[in-house]
Amino acid sequence: MLPIDAAAHSSRWRRRHPVDKAVLGLGLTVLAISLPPWPGAALVLLTALVVLLGPAGVPGRRLWRAYRVPLGFCVTGALTLLVQVGGPEGFVSLAPDGRVRAGELLLRTSAASLGVLLFAFTTPMSDLLPRLVRAGVPAAVVDVALVTYRMSFLLLDSMRCIREAQAARLGHTGRAAEWRSLAGLGATAFVRAFDRAGRLQAGLAGRGYDGTLRVLVPEARVSVRFTAASCALLAALAVLTLVLERPLT
Amino acid sequence: MHIAEGFLPPAHAVAWGVASAPFVVHGVRSLTREVREHPESTLLLGASGAFTFVLSALKLPSVTGSCSHPTGTGLGAILFRPPIMAVLGTITLLFQALLLAHGGLTTLGANVFSMAIVGPWAGYAVYKLLRRSNAPLMVAVFFGAFVADLSTYCVTSVQLALAFPDPGSGFLGALGKFGSIFAVTQIPLAVSEGLLTVLVMRLLVQSSKGELTRLGVLVARKQARTGTGTETEVAAR
Repeated sequence: MLPIDAAAHSSRWRRRHPVDKAVLGLGLTVLAISLPPWPGAALVLLTALVVLLGPAGVPGRRLWRAYRVPLGFCVTGALTLLVQVGGPEGFVSLAPDGRVRAGELLLRTSAASLGVLLFAFTTPMSDLLPRLVRAGVPAAVVDVALVTYRMSFLLLDSMRCIREAQAARLGHTGRAAEWRSLAGLGATAFVRAFDRAGRLQAGLAGRGYDGTLRVLVPEARVSVRFTAASCALLAALAVLTLVLERPLT
Repeated sequence: MHIAEGFLPPAHAVAWGVASAPFVVHGVRSLTREVREHPESTLLLGASGAFTFVLSALKLPSVTGSCSHPTGTGLGAILFRPPIMAVLGTITLLFQALLLAHGGLTTLGANVFSMAIVGPWAGYAVYKLLRRSNAPLMVAVFFGAFVADLSTYCVTSVQLALAFPDPGSGFLGALGKFGSIFAVTQIPLAVSEGLLTVLVMRLLVQSSKGELTRLGVLVARKQARTGTGTETEVAAR
């Protein structure tokens, strides 16, 4: 299991309905990209961080490991805003408002990423996917996504074992050997995926498979109190941003 | 490389979502039709999605000595065709956003457009073009994967340049900046992905002729009775 999903399965909010967590997490993301970055995104970032580390109980180290991935892209992308191409000061020069734009972009992406991470760290995929049918996603697509999700872990596990076996057989000692091992790994993943699908189909056919994959979804109800509190928090953030925007700008 | 969560302004995020929608809807219709006619396809398509997801987790040694991840869009398009790849790519990108924090939900439309639509279609077009001009299978596979990888990153650079035009030289200047970071540096990685795809395809031709024939990559040409038994000759389509 991947670290974010493993954390979601043991989250304090695991039993909450995905809609509850979507309203809060994705609501924060929407606010982060739609409010002015200063002070709006900064307030969202702070709120998301407090909720993640506080009530949601996400361990700080796990959060940082997941958070540094989008942060790397954001920093690289923001660096390009510091310079401008062409203009009276030469072919490449410092952009006049580059630092402000880069800072605003970093604030916005950091806050928005935390909103999605709040949802991801508290909602296992196995709770979310079957409920997508009610949201209007065709059942066939949801079934394919469910098989993809469950098979991904088995394949990743197989790949880890094959990689270890290749390393034990000096498969990563030289450049040529590394390429050979990598190609073997890709091809084996394909063969294993299709072999597993074939065996799964044979097993399901023996149990009267009619094309629908029925899975048990843990029962949960949308909490009106939680959703209302989330909406109130989001509204408060929006109002606070509008109030503070002028004095702080 | 995926555009991170919140990187695009709301209007751009919505616009790229709208641009991707027809391709994804077309893919969903093809997939639903396929599953209705052949219920067992659900498992094969799920396996294909898992393969695409896992492929993007491979560490690829670049010819410059650095390390990156293959996009898998070229191999996916050759094996499963671009319409199906639009759906499988969308599912994979959703998983990457929620399970690995790669990409995002507000930028899903933009990432789907570059990685699940333009990449597979461009790679598949080059692959088919070369095959129709009687190029050897592995040459077509190499250029298909190379173009799919590179076009993905070129589109990403265009998306970023449209969102953040340069204050001095506008869109073109921004395209130069983002292109030099995300697309030009990708050329050695695209070569690496092309080479890896060729090696994977060579192994697949040796070990999984049945699956490749079922997917339509190889076609059974004739059955010849040999001294040792019946042998099916296959040819690359």
